[in-house]
Amino acid sequence: MAGIGGDAVLVDRLRAGEERAFDEIAVALYPAMYGVARGYVGARTVAEEVVQEAWLGVLRGLERFEGRSTLRTWILRIVANIARDRAVREARSMPFSALDLDESEPAVEPHRFRGADEPYPGGWRAFPTDWRTLPESRLLASETLELVRGAIGELPESQRLVITLRDVIGCSAEEVCETLAITPGNQRLLLHRARARVRARLERELDG
Amino acid sequence: MADPSGEFGHDYTCREVVELASDYLEGAMTVRQMTAFELHLNFCDGCSTFVDQIRTTAAMALGVTEDRIPDDLKAKLLDAFRDWKRE
Repeated sequence: MAGIGGDAVLVDRLRAGEERAFDEIAVALYPAMYGVARGYVGARTVAEEVVQEAWLGVLRGLERFEGRSTLRTWILRIVANIARDRAVREARSMPFSALDLDESEPAVEPHRFRGADEPYPGGWRAFPTDWRTLPESRLLASETLELVRGAIGELPESQRLVITLRDVIGCSAEEVCETLAITPGNQRLLLHRARARVRARLERELDG
Repeated sequence: MADPSGEFGHDYTCREVVELASDYLEGAMTVRQMTAFELHLNFCDGCSTFVDQIRTTAAMALGVTEDRIPDDLKAKLLDAFRDWKRE
């Protein structure tokens, strides 16, 4: 997606009714819009409906877009609002519940560290394998990337939402907080839980 | 292995460092925290490997989505855009 300057140009092209501009942004933003929608509503077909409804809202509101946030953040917030309403109507449990923010989920399994009554308490029993010693082709192999995709798909909803926006789509931390209406602290906590789970999945694969 | 000498104020244990890796990578630490964190990494191969693994994981996630816009949805959206343009 274009930056701030690019946003103004893109908004002008959309306002002028340029179909190519609309096509480009609809395609480019789809993974992010779908990812946000899916995080709240669960079902694929419902998430696609949310994206469609969001675009109608975006077009209706385009004249009022003032560029106070980026176009992407503004659009993703519209998606999140519609998806939240939809989840409430369908009495679906929401992400970002207290359960999702369970502080006790460790980034690394506790048995990997030495106990309080051992020398160097809290230190690694055995160091993790240095991936920098692996051939690069191993990390870039399509099976490895497929594994990352699968691991992200299996995350709890709130973690999946945050890592999808932040690492998969490449939003800034501020954009994620604004889109999902969460605090920077919760954003980092969920991001770290998510990354830690995906890392653990990779570790099992790469060490095996 | 970090040497918990206590010489530099609060020394993080490895178990603490793994919880703070994203705070570090996101630049969300105080100078004091960052100093203690980096000191630990300098002495601890295990934790510097872990932080690299988290960084690598985040980098590998970039773009790993198969969510492409379905053709029928794209056609519907384009229709909506044309309707909007006419109004």
